[in-house]
Amino acid sequence: MKLRHPLSGAIYTKHGDDRVLVESADGQSGVFAPGARHLRGALREADPHMIGWVLSPDMQDRRTGTSRGNADQAGRPPGVGLPKLRTTTRNKKGRQDMDLGLTGRKALITAASRGIGLAIAQTFADEGCDVAICARGESGLEAARKDLEGRGDLKVFARAVDVAEGEAFKGFISDAAEALGGLDIYVSNASGGAGPGEQAWQASFDVDVMGAVRGVEAALPALEATDAGSVVFISSTAALEYLGVPQAYNAMKAALIAHAGDLSQALAPKGVRVNVITPGPIYFEGGSWEMIKQAMPEMYKGALAQCAIGRMGAPEEVARATVFLASPAASLITGANLVCDGGFTKRMPF
Amino acid sequence: MTSAALPHVEAGHGPRSPGLSYQDLLDADTRPAPEVLRLQAARELPVVRVPIERYTSQAFHELEVEKIWKKVWQFACREDDVPEPGDHETYEIAGMSLLIVRGADRRLRAFHNTCLHRGRALKDHAGRSGELRCPFHGWTWNLEGELQELPCRWDFPHVERERYALPQVQVGVWGGFVFINMDPDCEPLESYLGDLPRHFTRWPLEKRFKEAHVAKIMPCNWKANQEAFMEAYHVVGTHPQLLKGIGDANSQYDAWDNFSRAITANMTPSPHLPDGASEQEQLDSLLSASLDGDPPMRVPEDMTARAFLGQVTRMQLQASVPSVGELTDAELQDSFYYSLFPNFHPWGAYNRIVYRFRPFENRVDRALMEVLYLSPYRGRKPENAKTTWLDIDEPWTNADELGSLANIFAQDSFNLGRVQDGLRGAQHSHVTFANYQETKIRHFHTLLDRHLGA
Repeated sequence: MKLRHPLSGAIYTKHGDDRVLVESADGQSGVFAPGARHLRGALREADPHMIGWVLSPDMQDRRTGTSRGNADQAGRPPGVGLPKLRTTTRNKKGRQDMDLGLTGRKALITAASRGIGLAIAQTFADEGCDVAICARGESGLEAARKDLEGRGDLKVFARAVDVAEGEAFKGFISDAAEALGGLDIYVSNASGGAGPGEQAWQASFDVDVMGAVRGVEAALPALEATDAGSVVFISSTAALEYLGVPQAYNAMKAALIAHAGDLSQALAPKGVRVNVITPGPIYFEGGSWEMIKQAMPEMYKGALAQCAIGRMGAPEEVARATVFLASPAASLITGANLVCDGGFTKRMPF
Repeated sequence: MTSAALPHVEAGHGPRSPGLSYQDLLDADTRPAPEVLRLQAARELPVVRVPIERYTSQAFHELEVEKIWKKVWQFACREDDVPEPGDHETYEIAGMSLLIVRGADRRLRAFHNTCLHRGRALKDHAGRSGELRCPFHGWTWNLEGELQELPCRWDFPHVERERYALPQVQVGVWGGFVFINMDPDCEPLESYLGDLPRHFTRWPLEKRFKEAHVAKIMPCNWKANQEAFMEAYHVVGTHPQLLKGIGDANSQYDAWDNFSRAITANMTPSPHLPDGASEQEQLDSLLSASLDGDPPMRVPEDMTARAFLGQVTRMQLQASVPSVGELTDAELQDSFYYSLFPNFHPWGAYNRIVYRFRPFENRVDRALMEVLYLSPYRGRKPENAKTTWLDIDEPWTNADELGSLANIFAQDSFNLGRVQDGLRGAQHSHVTFANYQETKIRHFHTLLDRHLGA
């Protein structure tokens, strides 16, 4: 922070937490502590209010909600830093393989005891990440933890928590960051599910929307501290095209896309990227499409016919896209919405 | 200092600063100014100096308790702090505690927060309960203040139910604020407020929620505390970083019966600066743009900073204020600082700020300063913020919810402890006030004199 005193013309420059360099208009300078206490230099007198102002915390953050990323404010260079790609491997032709740069990174995935969430956690683990996961049910979570721990030499932090319980959920995230020794990636996957009525609106809001909002809020200190901070929201093609029933799920998944766009701009100067993965119909055992296939075969067939590739997606396919987008290999991509639906939606992809 | 060191007062522009007036600025705005901003009410105020003991003497504080705090209407809580039957808030003033309760009939009542048995406070803090039960022996009143139950009734043959109803104090509501008055013979709140509600018809304060509420103990008399906020005269000394973009010395001051107003324009250079400031410099000063970085926002080539900031704020308010298109540039950036005697300070337009100042506990040299942000909303009303308490040594900047304003309060607070020290040790007898720029303070002391019977 560097300001000119409008009356005296002296320049006040912040030096560290509690020192201000003052250069008068006639070329003298001095260093002062709060209250304009003189420390050294030929200039003996300065304006205590101006000293206090220059030392006041986080002016830009407080005013605009974003940091401009000046080195003296945020303590690091402006903009998105180029993250280090930590491991290199050579392919058969002797050239370097593309590396996701995930070895040793730390990823947190919500609702990861089954389906897409579990597949994402598994893929991160396979890429050499430490992972933190949560789910509502204790038993599914325990099985997921064992599966992940079996994938190599990695730390796994798992806790049964309801994403809708704001304080408990935020506590889980900060505890996870502490247990893993930091956090590079936050994937917001939890959903209140589809359903009719006002309760579904509330559940979708509490879980899908507020889970993402609170999750980013709680994870942000850790994400800002790393050189590869990255956030992925899992949305749904229900947010993109009409599915035959107006419902909360569709609108809330759309809200996630807008919020990710906002965050991608606001957090870019802090070195944190924010993107969206929008899966189409994903089929897995115990998933909702299996249920629909049995209970409403006509609807299932209709959806299948919509899939241009002739089949529904698998959780692993969504997971690979997510892990790429979250990884340092995607360092230029922020504010993107990557649709993974095998051609289920029909709009032109502008 | 010899008299020769002080220049003579210049004549020719009435009691005000030379140069651009606030009314001149309104003429240049992109939309016509509403009538309320065109009102000008300078008035003759007899007080130009007051004795220092008003700020330092415990005896004077006791006098204020009798003549002010027990006699005047004062803001106790927000109506939506107590929305449901059984909801209650406490209001502490000069060692007295009052209880504001919403009855089963949904009416608001206020009681002295004291058990009629042996005096314990009935409620220690806000909450919701079906009845008012003393935690000491269990005497219980219903929400309307009628004695309902006392354990071992047989032991109190001398306690008659009718004579043991909780003593009530007067309650009034305006703008979503609940006011109390301990004087049973007081004038109605409506007449005490006078024209104040009419001033706020364009900016209805009842349609707001409490987005922030911070209370801090300050090391000075409550009047010294609030007077530090009642004029823009201190900007040149205390907030020099703002000068390029603030009309401090050419602020407008008005006084009516029980309330007063200061209007300070933003995005106009201070009359203190001989060379003025460019449009971009005006905006930079508001945003505190560092000399070694890019400005956070740029004023477009063909716009004034004032029109630009008006447009930016208009966009920010679009989601929550349906009438935003009608608001003038002035309403979207200037300070409209109203004060209702003795200690209630709602800001006009959409600045969101409300201040309240009062003695802390029963001390002449401690104040409780409170800052509320009352924000507009659309649709379902968001929940009111909980109060953040800051101790005497805690900086304002600990309250994140205040945003950048906390840094401004930190500058103001840098003076206030030293004001009290200076007054305590002073050898001279009076403090003195500016003729025009300290109109609001002189108005306050004129009313104070009237209440003290001086």
